[in-house]
Amino acid sequence: MNDFTRAFSFIGSHQPLLWQKTAEHMELSGAALGIATVIALPLGLWLGHLRRGSFLAINVSNVGRALPSLALISIGMGLLGIGFWNVSVALVVLAVPIMLTNAYVAIEQADPDIVDAARGMGMSGWQVFSRIKLPLGVPLLFAGIRTATLYVIATATLAAVGGGGGLGEIIVNQASYRFEGVLGAALWVAALALVADLGLAQLQRVLTPRGLRRPGHPRLLAIRPAADARARSANLATAPGRPN
Amino acid sequence: MSVAASPGPAAAATTVIPNFGHADSCVLHNRFFCWHWFTSHWNDTFAPALVQHIVLTVIAVGIGFVVSLGLALVAYRLHWLERPIGWVAGWLYVIPSLALFQLLVPITGLTTTTAEIALVSYTLLVLFRNVLIGLRDVSPDIREAARAMGMSRLQSLARVELPLAVPAIVAGLRIATVTVVSLATVAAFVIDRGLGPLILRAIGQGLFKTEFVAAGALAVALAITADALLVGARWLLVPWTRRGPR
Amino acid sequence: MHPLSHEKATARLLRRIAAGTLALALVPGLLAACGSSSKKSSGTGGAASTGPGVHKPAVTLGAKNFTEEFVLGQLYTQALQAKGYRITLKNNIGSTEIVDKALTSGQIDAYPEYTGTILSELAHQNTRPSTAAATFAAAKAFEKSRGFTLTQMTPFIDTDALATKPPYATQHGLGTVADLKKLKGAILGGPPEFQTRAQGLPGLKRVYGVTSSNITFKPLSIGLQYQALDGGQVQLADVFTTDGQLSRGGYTLLKDPKNLFGFQNVAMVISQKVLGREGPAFLETIDAVSVHLNDEAMRRMNAAVDLDKQSPAAVAHQFLQANRLL
Repeated sequence: MNDFTRAFSFIGSHQPLLWQKTAEHMELSGAALGIATVIALPLGLWLGHLRRGSFLAINVSNVGRALPSLALISIGMGLLGIGFWNVSVALVVLAVPIMLTNAYVAIEQADPDIVDAARGMGMSGWQVFSRIKLPLGVPLLFAGIRTATLYVIATATLAAVGGGGGLGEIIVNQASYRFEGVLGAALWVAALALVADLGLAQLQRVLTPRGLRRPGHPRLLAIRPAADARARSANLATAPGRPN
Repeated sequence: MSVAASPGPAAAATTVIPNFGHADSCVLHNRFFCWHWFTSHWNDTFAPALVQHIVLTVIAVGIGFVVSLGLALVAYRLHWLERPIGWVAGWLYVIPSLALFQLLVPITGLTTTTAEIALVSYTLLVLFRNVLIGLRDVSPDIREAARAMGMSRLQSLARVELPLAVPAIVAGLRIATVTVVSLATVAAFVIDRGLGPLILRAIGQGLFKTEFVAAGALAVALAITADALLVGARWLLVPWTRRGPR
Repeated sequence: MHPLSHEKATARLLRRIAAGTLALALVPGLLAACGSSSKKSSGTGGAASTGPGVHKPAVTLGAKNFTEEFVLGQLYTQALQAKGYRITLKNNIGSTEIVDKALTSGQIDAYPEYTGTILSELAHQNTRPSTAAATFAAAKAFEKSRGFTLTQMTPFIDTDALATKPPYATQHGLGTVADLKKLKGAILGGPPEFQTRAQGLPGLKRVYGVTSSNITFKPLSIGLQYQALDGGQVQLADVFTTDGQLSRGGYTLLKDPKNLFGFQNVAMVISQKVLGREGPAFLETIDAVSVHLNDEAMRRMNAAVDLDKQSPAAVAHQFLQANRLL
């Protein structure tokens, strides 16, 4: 475990470098997630509300999962050149499917009885959406955002190959930083991902309406027969899906 | 620039430099996809890489499935184990693949083993979770009926509960397989096997588009084919769900 | 229908059929894998059946992660296999440090290395010998001290060089590396290790006095420099003197009068034990190949791979055949 002790001492002695790379990393991830959210969320929520385009909305995430990110970054480079924006585009392409599918199912799977009752109470379409479907869909919706976030952070490590910066630049550069640098950066990025996951899990907990909270690991959501069956048949959702 | 010509060994031999020929204009202009180059290099470049990729995937999903099945069966029996196992599998899943591959290098070296261990780790969460959910979904009435028929716990598991869990298990296998096919490209950073190295080498050759487009397309095709095969397998394995609602 | 009410025998049969089908689909795949994976790594399948190497133990060669090394790896592998040696080529292992580690840990027995790199990166000696022969001698002495040795060095030298586009060079009057001091904020692209290597940025500063006010560094994977130069993303790039792209013209190399980039002939680093084991014909075969590797030959072979996108194995094969080495 000599390598690991040297890796830890690298982490200790290279704080400014690691933080700078982390900033680049989060900048890249943030930009991609922002764009993906703007594209995918409204579309998914709207389609789910109207219950239209289900085949597309559900299967797009299966296709997204099959896209190898390394290939996508290289294709992006081939089309757009080297740098921050090219890699962002690749990350957006990879993040949108997850968000879209989850947003769609989150709204579409709202318990039809409750929706009927709400309509019966005289609520308009928008009110049904904003007061019933959306709050009910928050767990699934947020699971999608969380999955996409972790996925983008993980894939951003490959951005270095495309000149996009980030912590991956240390990991792929053994020639400069030597193996302890590579290992140190790998440990650092793993820790970053775990911290992000914990943070998002907490956030998910906070945002979930109290009535829907169930004990148990947020990833292994307790069984809710109807909704989960549909989610499962769409092969997604509470299941993170990320090829990075 | 010219540095003083190096002495080197007495070059009594004259060197013949053959004419290596030139690529067609499609390749020279680095167009998005040159079909001719792809077909003429299928045998020496793409086919071996594809086969290696398949092998990497099959081994990873195979081992991952066996391990996850075991863990799920244990957690099915001892409920309190579900959380810790889920956590560990979840943590492994969250670690970016490039990092996980490198973290294993001091332990298992720059070998296929390293790649396989990392890839297996990424299958655990989905497979563990899906096997468990599949088993839990079996209604208690059915379990009681099996017990009433005189089956032992093991027989009930093998003949009733697991077969009923097959749809969920196969759903998990599909996700795991597609994920592994995609992640195996990143293994290129530690071993020279599979479709990933083709992509890295193509980048190193001045962004040779045909090669990485082809490698990427092959990976996607492989994932889709594997997915279809698994759907077919499920169709064969669970005849009682072919008709009627799921 | 339901497993309990469904006839158990039929269910079992169907399951066996399904399992069998899947297995059948996999077996040919696995067989093909075993077959072609050994071919891909030029395993013992490529060895001739007669020759001095036939009864010798197998040897593993390595190669670094760029075109010239791929070509060199193939040249030596195929030449040795033609003499009956059982050679496995581990291609594309990584940069100098990674490959050296593979060598010292026994994962590979030999690989082609650059004499100057041995001195500066492995021996950490910053003295720059004034001739190629002196560089080779110093590198050999270092390798001997750790149980390895070097085969005869090649005629060709492949050092780093700084390239730029001719209009830019004329515009700023750039002829030598020292002229970089005239620039302000020009972007220099190169492999990430250029930032820390003695023959990289630190060397530019130490030997020529070029500072970060003159140039900013942009890390690029090997192979992307020419793209970046052409696209204007960088004004200068760190390239190799035998790069295939240079034969196309359109790039100016800055002269290096103070010889910062040193001498970089290639020689195989090989474990002394392995050399002893394999016998004298092993060394002779390698040297017979090295003798033919001059600047022009390497540049043409690199161009065939990088520009004409031919496989290193095919290019090496053609070269060896043309020179009666196969």
